[in-house]
Amino acid sequence: MPATIKAYGMLKTYLHGQNEASVEHGLTIRQALAVLGIPSELVAFVIVNDEQKSKDYCLQDADIVKVMAVMGGG
Amino acid sequence: MKGYAGSILRVNLATGQISKEPTPAEMARDYLGGRGFGIYQLFKEVPKGADALGPQNKLIISTGPLSGMLIPGGGKCDWTTKSPLTGGYASASMGGHFTAEMKYAGYDSIILEGVSPKPVYLLIEDGKVQLLDAAHLWGKGAFDVEVEFKHKYGEEYQIAAIGPGGENLVLYACINHDFGRQAGRGGVGAVMGSKKLKAIVVRGTKSVEVADPEGYRKAGMALYKACKDAEGLAEWTRYGTTVVTSWCDEVGALPTRNFSAGSFEGGEKIYGQTMRKEIVITDKGCFGCPCPCGKYSHMKRYGTYVEGPEYETIGLMGSNLGIADIQAVGEANRLADDLGVDTISAGNCVAWAMECYEKGILTKEDTDGLELKFGNIEATFALIKNIAHRQGKLGNLLADGVKRAAEKIGKGSERFAIQVKGMEQSGYATHSATSMLLAYMTCDVGAHHNRAWAITYDLQVGRSLVVPEKVARVIWLQNFRPMFDVLGACRLQWVELSIDRDLYVPAMEAITGIHRTWEDMEAVGNRIWNLTRLFWMRENEDFGRSWDQPSPRFFEEPPKTGATAGQITSYEDVQRLLDMYYEQRGWDNNGLPTPATLEKLNLAQIAS
Ligand code: SF4
Repeated sequence: MPATIKAYGMLKTYLHGQNEASVEHGLTIRQALAVLGIPSELVAFVIVNDEQKSKDYCLQDADIVKVMAVMGGG
Repeated sequence: MKGYAGSILRVNLATGQISKEPTPAEMARDYLGGRGFGIYQLFKEVPKGADALGPQNKLIISTGPLSGMLIPGGGKCDWTTKSPLTGGYASASMGGHFTAEMKYAGYDSIILEGVSPKPVYLLIEDGKVQLLDAAHLWGKGAFDVEVEFKHKYGEEYQIAAIGPGGENLVLYACINHDFGRQAGRGGVGAVMGSKKLKAIVVRGTKSVEVADPEGYRKAGMALYKACKDAEGLAEWTRYGTTVVTSWCDEVGALPTRNFSAGSFEGGEKIYGQTMRKEIVITDKGCFGCPCPCGKYSHMKRYGTYVEGPEYETIGLMGSNLGIADIQAVGEANRLADDLGVDTISAGNCVAWAMECYEKGILTKEDTDGLELKFGNIEATFALIKNIAHRQGKLGNLLADGVKRAAEKIGKGSERFAIQVKGMEQSGYATHSATSMLLAYMTCDVGAHHNRAWAITYDLQVGRSLVVPEKVARVIWLQNFRPMFDVLGACRLQWVELSIDRDLYVPAMEAITGIHRTWEDMEAVGNRIWNLTRLFWMRENEDFGRSWDQPSPRFFEEPPKTGATAGQITSYEDVQRLLDMYYEQRGWDNNGLPTPATLEKLNLAQIAS
């Protein structure tokens, strides 16, 4: 089963207004972002099944991944 | 005037005279409140050339129309003064619960003038205002003072206090409140110390009249609902500003070893995630905040507690000092807060001294025996204490800020003193982020990020590009973002939770009875921006382009490691950025507002 990537904030614009997209498991988050055309350097935060992961995390079957845009830092 | 407390409290520390005057309606109309009130009154009341630490300077605390109201984060007040650090305009925003009490006590501004002959504190209980003896508090840390007053007066009294840093006139001393909130930058704490005012204790029980109570309730609730529904709420509340640490490291913006790089090999040890796991025990927020960014931490190794560290302190007292240890950063944070020195400026000063030491410019003889290498935690603690007490050769030198220290030591160290206009740079490395670099160069208090946090825009459009759109973005942010400091509310609900800024418009209207769009408010922001520029010009005869230059490190020394290795902004590009900026602002080639610009902004009269 593919993994689901849910985009938040300004990252949605890279999914052409959609909130989520599917990618094959086996890719790293970084690779999945590249496939979807989301610039990795705008992603501040990756949460996989409610747990924070690095962009080198390798996607597993049916993972639900939230990618959040960088926030303002103050 | 609806939405305002209606009075200004004036306290003359020299004579002990305390008076109240009505808040001028035209000031509210043209400058709205907060930092607008601050600069307007500073410009009018402090005479040209006043010694920042002398009796002629004033410390002006101002609330805004949203302060103390049913608005997410309506707990901000502004502290404006002539900065002893920069010789120009200083304005520091403070959260917590002080603002609401001050407004409920009946005051839109408190103007502190003169110098007291002996240590005092100011007690405000609605209309009853007293200056009381503070001899027994002089020398105490800011936390102890707060504990003492909470016991003496009660939980609902709010306290703003200086530590030894302010007493000893450390030029970047801060003011502490609520066990971890500060009016941090520009030396506002030194000005308070120069007036021998140890603390302000305030309690207010009055209410604030609004123009349309039902509209106010609805607009306020809509703002809270937007915050509660925001997608990023859980992550923001979990991590606060530390949420950006890992991202900054990844993109080369994390200040590392005195800004010589933007990525830190020990970064993971100070990321927000690590901090949350290792030291955070609870969340802590300001008045009326639905998304508390404060993290209350317990550093087990030291047996101490602190509110923090937030991102800036992690950057400046962690990676920038080569310290990959979140407990140590927390403890450095606690020391600086209690002693009353700004963590950003202190972090920069220590980092500069460490670089000097590693380069042989300073030796153990100069450091009072400290082995001042990057990463040395104990030496960092010792130096923070020395700075706050102006103790030893180096502590005293660094208490005057990195610019003066580098001018005294010389030997090329000026080129790695990371500052603009004499204010040490906050937590973003700007080797390759031209909007952010310009934001620092032109910020109206010195190298601070809060006016225009433009670094994401750099990454969106191309980090090294030098184009008019980037300049326009910086100017828009500078006019718009500080309006939150004018209105007396936190901007982070808009910045971090991306709530629709138009939700503030009906709230403002219901509170004040005056309809203002964001365009109207940005025009006020622009007027304020130009008035702060006029203040710099008035106080410094040679003020102009040379004051807007960044640290040479950002155009001379590309980082050797990390995400921005080999990247730099050329000196020519730095000047092109300024050319475009001045043109778009309606300033001349030396960065001074033209008569036509002043006329357009209704500033011609005040400038003359
Ligand atoms: S977001 Fe943070 S700074 Fe802003 S009001 Fe809430 S707790 Fe205070």
